[in-house]
Amino acid sequence: MSKETIGRRRWIPRWKVKSNSLFHRIRVPRTKRALLRFEGRYNPKTLQRELILRDKKPIFWVIGLTALATIPIVIGQQLVFSIFGSICFFAAINVLWTLIIGTAGLQSFASLATVGVGAYAATYLSVTYDIAWPIMLVVGTFFGALMGFIISIPARRLDGLYYALLTIGISEFCRNYITQSESLGGQFNGALFGANRIVSEEAIQTTTGQTIAYLTSFVVLLVTLAVFRLVSGGKIGILLRTAQSSKEDESFASAIGIDFQRARLLVFLIASSALGFVGAFYATNQGGASLSLFSLDQMLLLLAMIVIGGLGKAEGAVVGTVIVVFLNQWFTSWGPWRIVLVGVLMLASVLYTRNGLFGLRQQLIEIRERRKALSRATRTTRYGAFLPEQGPEIADKGVIAEREFERSVRDQLREWVTPELIEEHRLSPLGQHSDHLERILNYFRKQPISNKYVVYCEEAFKAYRVVALSGIPGVPPRSVDDKTYSNLDEAYHAVFLRRINDLKSQH
Amino acid sequence: MIELLASALVLASMYGLVAVGISLTWSSVGMLNLAQGFVFTFGGYVAYLFAQYMSKNFSIRDGVILSLGVVLLGMLGSAVAGLIVGGLAFLPLHDRLNFPVRGLIATLAISIIGTQMFMLMFGPQSKPLPQIFGIKRLKMGEFSIAYGQIGTIVVATVVLLIVTLWMRNSRRGLQMRAMMMNPLGANMVGVSVRTTGMIALALSGALSGLASVLLGQIFFVSPTSGVQPLIVGLIISLAGGLGSMPGTVAAAVLLGLAEAVTARYTEQSFVPFVQFALVVAILTFRPRGLGGVLEDVRE
Repeated sequence: MSKETIGRRRWIPRWKVKSNSLFHRIRVPRTKRALLRFEGRYNPKTLQRELILRDKKPIFWVIGLTALATIPIVIGQQLVFSIFGSICFFAAINVLWTLIIGTAGLQSFASLATVGVGAYAATYLSVTYDIAWPIMLVVGTFFGALMGFIISIPARRLDGLYYALLTIGISEFCRNYITQSESLGGQFNGALFGANRIVSEEAIQTTTGQTIAYLTSFVVLLVTLAVFRLVSGGKIGILLRTAQSSKEDESFASAIGIDFQRARLLVFLIASSALGFVGAFYATNQGGASLSLFSLDQMLLLLAMIVIGGLGKAEGAVVGTVIVVFLNQWFTSWGPWRIVLVGVLMLASVLYTRNGLFGLRQQLIEIRERRKALSRATRTTRYGAFLPEQGPEIADKGVIAEREFERSVRDQLREWVTPELIEEHRLSPLGQHSDHLERILNYFRKQPISNKYVVYCEEAFKAYRVVALSGIPGVPPRSVDDKTYSNLDEAYHAVFLRRINDLKSQH
Repeated sequence: MIELLASALVLASMYGLVAVGISLTWSSVGMLNLAQGFVFTFGGYVAYLFAQYMSKNFSIRDGVILSLGVVLLGMLGSAVAGLIVGGLAFLPLHDRLNFPVRGLIATLAISIIGTQMFMLMFGPQSKPLPQIFGIKRLKMGEFSIAYGQIGTIVVATVVLLIVTLWMRNSRRGLQMRAMMMNPLGANMVGVSVRTTGMIALALSGALSGLASVLLGQIFFVSPTSGVQPLIVGLIISLAGGLGSMPGTVAAAVLLGLAEAVTARYTEQSFVPFVQFALVVAILTFRPRGLGGVLEDVRE
């Protein structure tokens, strides 16, 4: 395997800087947090001062969110507005759901139902008492928190899949309740409309109204992302990450004094309130609520978004939502095939990736590391330079490089050794030679003195022998064989043949 | 009273067949099969195609051969669907990291794809299945019970009994029970996890295929007809304790009875609430379900 196929080093953005700005950071006011995670250092090779950007994510976030905010406004069509509005709405739900599944580690499937509860409560109160939209948002948040509290009661006793099944049951229960209830629009198949809107029904027909309506939903997405960042990146998120992956971790967390159950429920309550807020926003945006908020199909579609993007990451939730909503609403002419495609994407991301689209990078890095290690192992066992486990122990990497170089030189010289070349040397051991023979002889000349073959003169012009030098002062050379040669040229050629033999056997 | 009991037992046998299948898959394979609805519908459609074929080519619209063929092909079709699910979700994933969650998502994806494929192939309309037990009613004094009800109860009971005995006495059953208790240990003493898992998936498929054919008598077959049995089956296997056959059957009977009584004495619309309250009550007092002891062993 040649070096090209192994891959290059990962690219890290770096800047040369003046000395006084090497450790200067732009920080978030009143905190120690820097806006971008720079590392100031001296380049070990060039010894120049440089800044390295260790985390490129914030830049991609800014670019992505800016694109999300501006694309529909620039295009300005109603269909694009509705698609991007759905993207913002579902992405907001998915980000909060990620908070529940990923950070809190509770496998709740009732997130959409919480949104529905918020939406129906806000709509009902708005229809009955004609409350304004800011109060609707407050009401939705309150009912979301209430719903979260109710769902969280069994979470203390049940865990894992039992809880997942129970929450699916709760969703179905809510859906049934609304179809049965007359005051919540049961007679219209669960559709309850007539709530106060942020942008009035006449204004929503104009492009300006649509722009404002879209921007409000974008702001809601930003709010949920902020909630995610504050909870998951804050103290409570760190506490919960200790108890995240297994039962042993939970025992460990409680042993060092983390009340992870309480932290979990707190995160769950916060996320549920935010979900209620999103639901109430849906009501003020659409002017009401419909039964699709509780449907199993819609929930499966949301799950597909999270899975395709990558479970447990906010960026996964957002990008997965963009992909699935775009497929689902832009290619409406494909009919059921687009849902099949979503299913196939979901299946592929489960079968081939460890954690969706955003787990792919780590997975590829690991594959590359594995291939690197493999190729290093095959190289060293074949040429016997160094064992792979010796690599890290040798501080001077130049030694390794020199060995590698010597090996490649020997490989090249070995190819040049032919019967014609040996015949050429036999005819005239001294004097002018062909290029290949000259290079081989030069290689032999610069070999270390120990074990070097030399000609030993027993009797001048009559008897010569081949011996090997010891390399140690005072220790005589050892004889290699008992052959004697009558003239000097034959002896030179015998030495040459021995060296060629060694070159061929040495790898 | 007998009518009430009969309808309760009919419901219980349908639910029981699906729930035992789900429970069996979960306990032996370690994966919650949410594609059971797809498997269910697959068998129904195979049976429907068979009935269509018979009536078109041989003009057979009822009789023993048709009934037997419908039941057997329904079971066979669902068993094949179970193997498809196994091939797509179980075989490639079972030795990977985080298998329970990934398996669950994979089966969900299969279920989404399957529903849409049915929609494309057969359209959204419901398709009728032939009445395999006839449409007559058995008169007993002032009560009368449809033959279909008796047939359903008898067939379901017999099949569940056979499966229970097979699990208890056969070598495969022994292997499956070993895998339920400790998959790693079973593997170490020479039980092939892959073969046994596929057999468990085929068996649970066949059970839900039978339920599909029996339920098709009342509700017909449609692309989404698997959703309701799946949800009820999940809830029952949860209440019965995932992995416990007696617990699952008991929960099925309990919920069937609750449904029949509620529908008889109050309104049909109260049924989900009563069922839900019952399950919550069961889980509050026994968080591992009625017969559930398995979870501790599997951990």
